[in-house]
Amino acid sequence: MKAYKAMLKTEFQLSLRGIDMFIFAICMPIVVTILLGSMFRNKPAFEGASYTFFEQSFGAISTIAICAGGVMGLPLVISDYRNRKILKRLQVTPSSPTLILAVQVSIYTIYSIASLLLVYATAKIFFHYEMAGSLLYFTGSYLLVMLSMFSIGMMVGGIARDIKSASVIASLLYFPMLLFSGATLPYEVMPSSLQKVADLLPLTQGIKLIKASALGLPINDVVLPIILMILLSIICIGISIRFFKWE
Amino acid sequence: METTIHVEQLNKSYNEIPAVCNLNLQIKRGEVFGLLGANGAGKSTAIECILGTKTADSGRISVLGLNPKSHRKQLFERVGVQFQSTNYPDKIRVGELCEETMSLYKTFNDYHGLLEQFGLADKEKAFISELSGGQKQRLFIVVALISNPEVVFLDELTTGLDPKARRDVWRCLDKLKSDGLTILLSSHFMDEVEVLCDRIGILKRGELIFCGTIQEAINTSPYEKLEDAYLWFTDEEENEDEGL
Repeated sequence: MKAYKAMLKTEFQLSLRGIDMFIFAICMPIVVTILLGSMFRNKPAFEGASYTFFEQSFGAISTIAICAGGVMGLPLVISDYRNRKILKRLQVTPSSPTLILAVQVSIYTIYSIASLLLVYATAKIFFHYEMAGSLLYFTGSYLLVMLSMFSIGMMVGGIARDIKSASVIASLLYFPMLLFSGATLPYEVMPSSLQKVADLLPLTQGIKLIKASALGLPINDVVLPIILMILLSIICIGISIRFFKWE
Repeated sequence: METTIHVEQLNKSYNEIPAVCNLNLQIKRGEVFGLLGANGAGKSTAIECILGTKTADSGRISVLGLNPKSHRKQLFERVGVQFQSTNYPDKIRVGELCEETMSLYKTFNDYHGLLEQFGLADKEKAFISELSGGQKQRLFIVVALISNPEVVFLDELTTGLDPKARRDVWRCLDKLKSDGLTILLSSHFMDEVEVLCDRIGILKRGELIFCGTIQEAINTSPYEKLEDAYLWFTDEEENEDEGL
């Protein structure tokens, strides 16, 4: 526990010094909140909808940080630490390399939750946002999306040959999901052909789930996304455990 | 005298190419042992098998009477290791790396004292990336010593350093030696080995072709200097090969 705390403190400082997570996980979601809020604050989601377009977007924006941390941050830091033999170095201490993996997962969890709270505060203060759905369901779906995205990151970081291939794979996952899963550009404004492609991205399914829980829509509509998220997590965690390269 | 590192019939190969063959080593408490050999001779592989970060194909290994695989946690409370090349995160400060390392152990040395001892007291707030090569290597010795170890493993500690920096590192190691620490180091600098090591082992293509004191190495060869003797040892078999 002592080692976990000390390492969390130092590693978090290192991560903040890296600045990119601060920009992509903390600043960017707030900017998107302000943009969508000022454009669609009072516009209904569709004709006759009981909620606004902005309220509908809230759930999507809250996943930007999960995506940045899970799909970009985690794989890069894992492959970098393997490459620098930091994971191997921990094998010759009384601790173990899993400690630093746990610390990194904690760091990206902190970023995600901090981002969620800041996005919520921005939406509430400037655009009088209220969450219609149950907080319990929202938390549950948020955690499930986090689990599935982080498991993708753990898998990519764990099996990528080197930092270069990890960064290529991470970019191939991150940028399409950031742009086309609905996290930034709203899914509802996409042409239906693009929506079909977007549906293939794991985060699109996650966002459907989070949106439904934030809006308080019936859970029956999102059974498929729930199953997909759980399956994805199981597969990625399984592959990570089985094929993780410690060096 | 008590045996600190005991290696018996160690074998390790990569894709059926042998990297270490039938290695036997006994290193006593307080001894400084130098493992010599060209690049690719199997020095690092041997060290990693002894540490358990690589799995030997066969053989018996014990360090401080413990098996490095099955008693990993227990053993590494008492062992310090420096691997070849960098193993610290980007953008980390000297003090932060020391703190992080300290947190891994139940008992530890105060790193401030160690930094002082190794001439790095004013560098605590510096980024490691800003240190010179010699300062970095001295810091890595500090990091290896934070656990207050009984044995330290140093893999090619002075490769890539200028002569002055190498001498600074030697001075540090000499101090450890007089403190009674057991040290296993690998190197391909004969001058360094002559200054520091009580005994040496010469590896060639994974085989230990000589093991003994420096004087014994010189006496066995027709030469008077260790460097000549070393080259004679490592070339001998090649000449034989040509003879075949």
